[in-house]
Amino acid sequence: MDQYSILGRIGEGAHGIVFKAKHIETGETVALKKVALRKLEDGIPNQALREIKALQEIEDNPYVVKLKDVFPHGTGFVLVFEYMLSDLSEVIRNSQRPLTESQVKGYMMMLLKGVAFCHENSIMHRDLKPANLLISSTGHLKIADFGLARLFSNEGERLYSHQVATRWYRAPELLYGARKYDEGVDLWAVGCIFGELLNNSPLFPGENDIEQLCCVLRVLGTPNQKVWPEITELPDYNKITFKDNPPIPLEEIVPDTSPQAIDLLKKFLVYPSKQRINARQALLHPYFFTDPLPAHHSELPIPQRGGKHSRQRLQPPYEFSVERPLHESLVDPGLIHPHAWGCL
Amino acid sequence: MYHNSSQKKYWTFNKEANLENLRLEANQKFRAKALSLRKPGISESMFLDPHEEKVLFRHYEKRLLDFCTVFKPAMPKSVVGTACMYFRRFYLNNSLMEYHPRTIMLTCAYLSCKVDEFNVSSTQFVENLQENPAAQERALEQILEYELLLIQQLNFHLVIHNPYRPLEGFLIDLKTRYPLLENPEMLRKSAEDFLNRAAMTDAGLLFSPSQIALTAVLNSAARAGLNMETYLTECMGLKDEKETLSKMYDSMRRITTLLKEYELPKSNEVNICKQKLERIHTEFNSNTSLKRKHGYEDDDHVVKKPLVTEEEWTDEGLDLL
Repeated sequence: MDQYSILGRIGEGAHGIVFKAKHIETGETVALKKVALRKLEDGIPNQALREIKALQEIEDNPYVVKLKDVFPHGTGFVLVFEYMLSDLSEVIRNSQRPLTESQVKGYMMMLLKGVAFCHENSIMHRDLKPANLLISSTGHLKIADFGLARLFSNEGERLYSHQVATRWYRAPELLYGARKYDEGVDLWAVGCIFGELLNNSPLFPGENDIEQLCCVLRVLGTPNQKVWPEITELPDYNKITFKDNPPIPLEEIVPDTSPQAIDLLKKFLVYPSKQRINARQALLHPYFFTDPLPAHHSELPIPQRGGKHSRQRLQPPYEFSVERPLHESLVDPGLIHPHAWGCL
Repeated sequence: MYHNSSQKKYWTFNKEANLENLRLEANQKFRAKALSLRKPGISESMFLDPHEEKVLFRHYEKRLLDFCTVFKPAMPKSVVGTACMYFRRFYLNNSLMEYHPRTIMLTCAYLSCKVDEFNVSSTQFVENLQENPAAQERALEQILEYELLLIQQLNFHLVIHNPYRPLEGFLIDLKTRYPLLENPEMLRKSAEDFLNRAAMTDAGLLFSPSQIALTAVLNSAARAGLNMETYLTECMGLKDEKETLSKMYDSMRRITTLLKEYELPKSNEVNICKQKLERIHTEFNSNTSLKRKHGYEDDDHVVKKPLVTEEEWTDEGLDLL
């Protein structure tokens, strides 16, 4: 812990506080997630173990937040992540007007690259939502919070919990209580996030689990065996019946959107998980290759933590003044000398 | 995937000798530390030597395996394999004289359940100890106390690739691409036995899970009087890869040797070592709770409920298993 100096508090997660800190040796800013073990009757929480597990086993990827280190501290341990300025939910919340089509494409492309990487490494995230998509000071999007992530195997003999994913982004099979599911749950969430970016408001904002299902059914139509053969095998299928409702065309749900965007969105929001377009294929969709092209990360808004409006392009890190005498911007060699002499 | 795993990167070693050296170092480190305390009446002869440590290690490893086998609800094989591998990794860099294997083995099993998503509550877990409720509670307290130390000693590398899945893969492959073998399922039983025995050797620290699984398959075939060389040469396309093929045979021979060399320590030998171990733990580790030993700090104001007692729960309950 002495390697870091705490700069402030970023937030509080389910299992501890997140601090902003500086790595003293390198001067790098990082986020420290402290996992305390006090009072936990089951010891180290599963969420923390899952996060370590998922992130220790994958190589670096520009679209997945990097776990830089883990070390024990006090009665618990600390996860060290690269520091990220903001997250996508703040971007959506703070934008006064909807994001431009090119910006939405930029975010979607980074999101899909990250998701493709996770899935190719046999990790399903299970809790994708705008608040878990962090935005760096350079405008990059990175997937974070692997507290619900699990390694999946295609054998599928083991059962998973259906109480995963934040409600608005929860796939219909989970709402029906499925205990066997696949990475399709992430692709559903990607669809929801896509819709939210296009509309500037959540696509299926259910207030409780039942209403969540209603929201989905209202738009996609009441599922039946013809469109979703597996539905009858889902645990909660017989517990609740809805009256027959035809689907509403997505064009009406997400108005003023290009036909390509609608076409891609449709490919995520389908009932049978296996029919959802996978991340790698989605990246090849014409949507990303038609004008306006995806925005470069430097053209994306970077809001400050805490919701201050700074929609504009990021500020250069230093103020430069051409008139300022050069010696004023230099460090006094005398100050460095006592620290540097050991290296000479 | 195994090929970019922490297991391959950090926990797969080249030679058997490297492992022995690490264990020797751990043994010597503890001796040096204990001797430096200059306690009266302490002599070199009271410590366990590397061979004695090995005897006890095998004894407790077997107990770990037995505990897992009768565990209710039934533990999936991968959970058991992971627990054994944690135990092995832990004592690669630590002496049994420093941390009592009785606690570490249970901590390994407990952590493995969680990491492998075999969800049992902590109470459910200790109910599997044939002990009275008070002893169960003490055991749990110790497990939770050592959990952090364990993951730290595992270097936070928690994912273990066991050879059970590759074995399934090979059986499927044999069924689809190797018509010479009429009924590949007949190889299963003895191949699985092979893997269970391999889990009690250093094989997992030296070879990839698929190598171990393949050895299990070929070994099982050999036992049934079948020669499967054409599976390697034809199906795996190694006909003209003389070098790869000979390396593979070499690894398989080394794996088989490890299994052959294994023998469960004799109980009188175990008892002598156990007495030594208990004496060392009373001499050096009693009354120093882990928290104090590692300079754990009190960083919040939660009033910790007092430890039930300082008394250790004993081996007896486990022996009933």
